[in-house]
Amino acid sequence: MNPDVAYVWRQILNHVSLFFTAEARAHLEGDTVRFLSWDEAQRSTGSHLVIPIDIPASVDPESPYTVPFNGTELTLWNRLPRPSTPNWEPIPCETRPLWYRHRTGTLLPAWNLYGTLFGLLTFQEELRSSQRDGHGRFLASYSPRYRRGLLEVPAFNEAVAALVDACTALDTDAEPQLRLGPALRPPAIVLSHDCDVLYGNDLWTQGVRAYRVFQPLARARAPRLGQLWWMGRNAVTPRRYYFDNLTGMVDLERSFGYRSTFYALNGTGGRFGARNGTRGLDELAAMVPDGWDLGMHYNYDTFLNRDRFQAQLDQLKHFTSKDMVSGRAHYLRFDPERSLPFLESCGIEVDESAGYSDGLGYRCGIGGCFEAYDTTARTPRAIVEVPMVIMDTTLVIQYAEVAIATVRRMLTHLQHVGGALSVIFHPGVFHNPEFPEMLGIYHRILVECRRVGARALTARDLVNALQRN
Amino acid sequence: MENSALTVRFAAADEAAACNDLHNRLYQEERTIEQWRWEFVSTIFQHPQIPFSVVDDGGTIVGTQAFIPIRMINRDGVFWTAKSEETLLDPAYRGKRLLGQMYDCLFEYAAEHGLRYVWGFTPADKALRRVGFDIPTRTSQLIIPFYCRDLPVLLQRAGINKPAGVRDRIRLAGFKIGCVAARLASAARFARAERVTRRVSTSHALRLQVLEQPPEQSDALCRRFVSQWGGTTIFRDADYLRWRIFENPYVRPIMCAAYDGEELLGWAIYSMGDDGAGYLVDVLVVTEPNRPYTPEDVVRRLLVQAVRSIRNMGAIAIRGWHVNDHPFAELVMRVARSVGFHHVRRGQSVVVRAADPQATSMSQNFAEWYVTRIFMEGTVG
Ligand SMILES: CC(C)(COP(=O)(O)OP(=O)(O)OC[C@H]1O[C@@H](n2cnc3c(N)ncnc32)[C@H](O)[C@@H]1OP(=O)(O)O)[C@@H](O)C(=O)NCCC(=O)NCCS
Ligand SMILES: [Zn+2]
Repeated sequence: MNPDVAYVWRQILNHVSLFFTAEARAHLEGDTVRFLSWDEAQRSTGSHLVIPIDIPASVDPESPYTVPFNGTELTLWNRLPRPSTPNWEPIPCETRPLWYRHRTGTLLPAWNLYGTLFGLLTFQEELRSSQRDGHGRFLASYSPRYRRGLLEVPAFNEAVAALVDACTALDTDAEPQLRLGPALRPPAIVLSHDCDVLYGNDLWTQGVRAYRVFQPLARARAPRLGQLWWMGRNAVTPRRYYFDNLTGMVDLERSFGYRSTFYALNGTGGRFGARNGTRGLDELAAMVPDGWDLGMHYNYDTFLNRDRFQAQLDQLKHFTSKDMVSGRAHYLRFDPERSLPFLESCGIEVDESAGYSDGLGYRCGIGGCFEAYDTTARTPRAIVEVPMVIMDTTLVIQYAEVAIATVRRMLTHLQHVGGALSVIFHPGVFHNPEFPEMLGIYHRILVECRRVGARALTARDLVNALQRN
Repeated sequence: MENSALTVRFAAADEAAACNDLHNRLYQEERTIEQWRWEFVSTIFQHPQIPFSVVDDGGTIVGTQAFIPIRMINRDGVFWTAKSEETLLDPAYRGKRLLGQMYDCLFEYAAEHGLRYVWGFTPADKALRRVGFDIPTRTSQLIIPFYCRDLPVLLQRAGINKPAGVRDRIRLAGFKIGCVAARLASAARFARAERVTRRVSTSHALRLQVLEQPPEQSDALCRRFVSQWGGTTIFRDADYLRWRIFENPYVRPIMCAAYDGEELLGWAIYSMGDDGAGYLVDVLVVTEPNRPYTPEDVVRRLLVQAVRSIRNMGAIAIRGWHVNDHPFAELVMRVARSVGFHHVRRGQSVVVRAADPQATSMSQNFAEWYVTRIFMEGTVG
């Protein structure tokens, strides 16, 4: 098999193992699915699912449309024409086809399944764009999917769900039911916390508050004296609403039977750096209970800088006495080409940085995880990416009073197509009256997760599950 | 509507969904079948027929009444009782004494199966008095407010959260001022209690631990509890705790246990309800004489931990129960006040009845019970 194709297929099977039953995986594993050229695919007959692999996929989604599926809707783009050979019928209908079905049973996806997924997993949108923000990041608003309102579509998950249904149908000589039934397992929730600030009285945090007091004066407005209250409060009780929130989050997650990962920040200080230095690292490590994970929050200045990265990592291991194999970049600094190879070479096994800082979204079109791809050697890398989908303040800024309804919508969708939702919540906004709009949000998110019967897995759990395959 | 079409009978094993639907329809809730089963199909009291009676109108369930078998313990040992739950009639069928008929089947069942008392908490005093229950007292609350801004939400039922006129506005303002004052008083007392516990805990081997599963020692602890403090209370052995706490499908409360070395001294169980309020579900402590700490010390340590944890989880308040003057309840109340709790006399009626119709009034008996929120359904922990 073409190595690119083998890579995508491997990610599909991994995803099925994580979010579907073993029987569902068995349906995919035979030689039901074939990756062929468009010409070969068109000429196929018999009980096979044929996926064309030689059609270039545009990163700009072409004419998206939806198809009802398993109580939700699949959103497809990069549509393929109906094969020119006779006897192919669209399923479920001509205007919104999911499959083309040959009279002899063969199924052919009605959209460029392979090209679209390969493009998403290998960051093609970002590689073909030079747009970056001041921190060197690719933003949600730069994505061609953003303009079409497709960032909240887990295209990979939807394609796999359709495949599972189709392969099950082929094994029983039936038409795809557009339903999944018991093949689907409950969705997963991947919770994590970047521990940017553990004490609210560091110079930077207090300095920013002081600045906010006088900032309105520049616009001839009254100073925001309320900020003085937060300054005073954290001067007296620096742990309140910061370190204390860590234990609060653990207890809250425990009451849902959930677990999470804490990413610890240390290394260089400064506004974008580790504001608390190494303070509290040992206590943080001691606080993280069995079953929860502790990982590394790569400092701002370690971005693609081996020496600084190594120094931070060594310091972190020294203070916490734990191995560090999971991580996320502070400020989500992430390069689509170089970051994953860099992190892999630094010993990171699973990364959660590929999320947007300015909006919700499936940055790689997947709610779950995938192995990074080495485009030169054309092999999967040892590092796994778990793209972050929802960030605390971003959710509330973007969706305000419908924030929770949005989470519910996304979870419900995953409940019907399978997958995982990665949510990051910073301790400083988990429960802090300084940010009243954030109060109770995390709790309500967990309530929504329980409503759909979600199980909690950490990024590391996902990797361990893959390794067991 | 012809009464003759109505039958009152026990629910069949496959009627979970139909029984649950009535509840969901009348309360506009989304209780799942799994939650229904957890509550009504006991894994401890194993009997093919569950004590769940229904009113059936030509195939539709229009009324439900359940007994949840629960073991209690007193100085004479462990015995079965039942909690009355799921008292519900479709409004179109009320006022026909159907509740009495549903209870009749259940009390027969109780007598047959040795369920000694039936008890519960309800706003429907009158209906339950009519079927023979005593109402010995009402529950009252122990409260610490953390956020006064959101508290009116909790008092929704008191009807003052949405002020209609000037008087309501004045009441609401008064309430908020009172709440701020209560909060400040709580904060001051809590800070003092934290200092005290820090002193006490460093001076001896008291150790707190959040448990991932029920402690096997809880059985013996309950026995020692009644022999030391007297009265009657729920027998919280490992099976009970596993069901009520660790496998609770709503909120899994946090069980924080106190140990002296490996010896279990007791626990505090607390939770964060979906309503954003924290709940003190249970406190139980037994200490031997001649230890360097008193039961008050252990209870204080546990309550401080519970309050801190609930506060850090972001709750708007923490609420517990105080029901009667069992000596240990009095101790908890004393310590709770010193930790910052306020006692508020607002609650539900306690109803209790002996299964044996010849038995005398239960009021006297109930005065000796030790009751906490663990006696509740568990939907908020
Ligand atoms: C409780 C219930 C089953 C009683 O059924 P019923 O057939 O009406 O019972 P009865 O006719 O014997 O008694 C009804 C009396 O109780 C009173 N009552 C019923 N529910 C009540 C409630 N929730 N609060 C206060 N009083 C109530 C009625 O006003 C009536 O009094 P009245 O005779 O002065 O009019 C039914 O009213 C019901 O389903 N209520 C809602 C559910 C509920 O509150 N359950 C208790 C929680 S465990
Ligand atoms: Zn960060």
